[in-house]
Amino acid sequence: MLNRAMLFFCLTLTLSCPAYALDFDFTKALDVVKKVQQAAKPLEEPREIELGNGIAANLLGAAPLFNDNDVQQYVNKVGRWLSLQTERPDLPWKFGILESSDVNAFATPGGTIFITRGLLQKLNNESELAGVLAHEIVHVLRKHHLAALQKEARMDLASDLLGEAIKDKNNPALEKAIKAGTEVYARGLDKNDEFEADRMGIVIATRAGYDPYGLPAVLQMLDASNAQDSSLALMFKTHPAPRDRLGLLDKTMDHRFDAYSAPTQTDERFNSEVARQK
Amino acid sequence: MRYLTTLFLFCLLAASAYADQAAYTVRSTEIKQQPYSDAPTVATLSEKTSVNILSREGGWMKISSGQGNGWVKMLSLRSNSKATKSGDSGLQSLLNAGRADSRGVTVATGVRGLSEEDLKNARANPRELEKLQRYAVDKSQAEKFARGAKLKTQQMDYLPPSGNS
Repeated sequence: MLNRAMLFFCLTLTLSCPAYALDFDFTKALDVVKKVQQAAKPLEEPREIELGNGIAANLLGAAPLFNDNDVQQYVNKVGRWLSLQTERPDLPWKFGILESSDVNAFATPGGTIFITRGLLQKLNNESELAGVLAHEIVHVLRKHHLAALQKEARMDLASDLLGEAIKDKNNPALEKAIKAGTEVYARGLDKNDEFEADRMGIVIATRAGYDPYGLPAVLQMLDASNAQDSSLALMFKTHPAPRDRLGLLDKTMDHRFDAYSAPTQTDERFNSEVARQK
Repeated sequence: MRYLTTLFLFCLLAASAYADQAAYTVRSTEIKQQPYSDAPTVATLSEKTSVNILSREGGWMKISSGQGNGWVKMLSLRSNSKATKSGDSGLQSLLNAGRADSRGVTVATGVRGLSEEDLKNARANPRELEKLQRYAVDKSQAEKFARGAKLKTQQMDYLPPSGNS
């Protein structure tokens, strides 16, 4: 809308100018409009996926995959089932357990979700796992990392990234975006995006048939954890305090989620897949 | 047999997750005989009453307190963080001890690979990315998995931020 108004404004301006200035002004005006359009235009889905895969490869460079096919597949099935309850069921969703005793989880643009072995081992059932994965899924749905990247990146990076240039696979702009994108995980997202991921995550877990209190239970576990524990350092630094998250979920959930519970078969499955890893 | 062993392990872990976890009430809260709203009330706890959490069922915590035992809404409770040291239980250490060869358990703090510095300096590992892609499952596998545990989809809209509701 704004772009159209600007184009109209520029056209009016150029048309009202004396004839000798028309060529120059018109070209310049179009250029400005194009730039504004590029910066405001969302990243196309294939580019979003490409960027996310690049960031995922970097995260895997920091910590490799936990070496157990069965548990990896189990987490993928829980996650993929959750993804089917969302508005982006056709993304190339993939889920991985990172070999790290750190307690954390990550999402990269385009549908890659990681949970650390350290966090997985602290969970008590499949609904808690679903709560964590659903929270991460929301970061992808709502493009929170792209927002953080675009907010912090310099305009040249943003316009390179969104422009034609990125269609070339070997473009240095993509490399730059992947590096900047990975650094977002060291700084964290906007805290309102974290609250949104909690609020939408519990709904996705409920839609999938899980106990809605899985995520709140994990937050209570984190709240009860020793804040000095170094395995929690990055997670605590990059997220709002679990207590604040619980406070907001308390208000949001009220009595609306009382009637739901997960089938006991999910507990049995979780026990046979994950408890043996503890 | 494996099922029994894992069940036993799970019970131990579930117990260790909550046993004697100190918490307090953030509002006046009823203790219920069973974990649902219309169950008989055992007692009413005033705000800032200390309780011990024993276990969880859905949105309910089984607790013991000076005023009685029973079930309290999970979100009416906040942990008394100072009194707990989660993640450092004897059982967890025991289990981890059996994994001495795995990365990240026995190594010193700061080299587990996911610190702020590690993320800033991370170099791409395309081979692990390929492996990750191989673990991915498709829609029909996910649906079969859900049916296998009798997971049923529910209709529910996203909720607005609590400030707007």
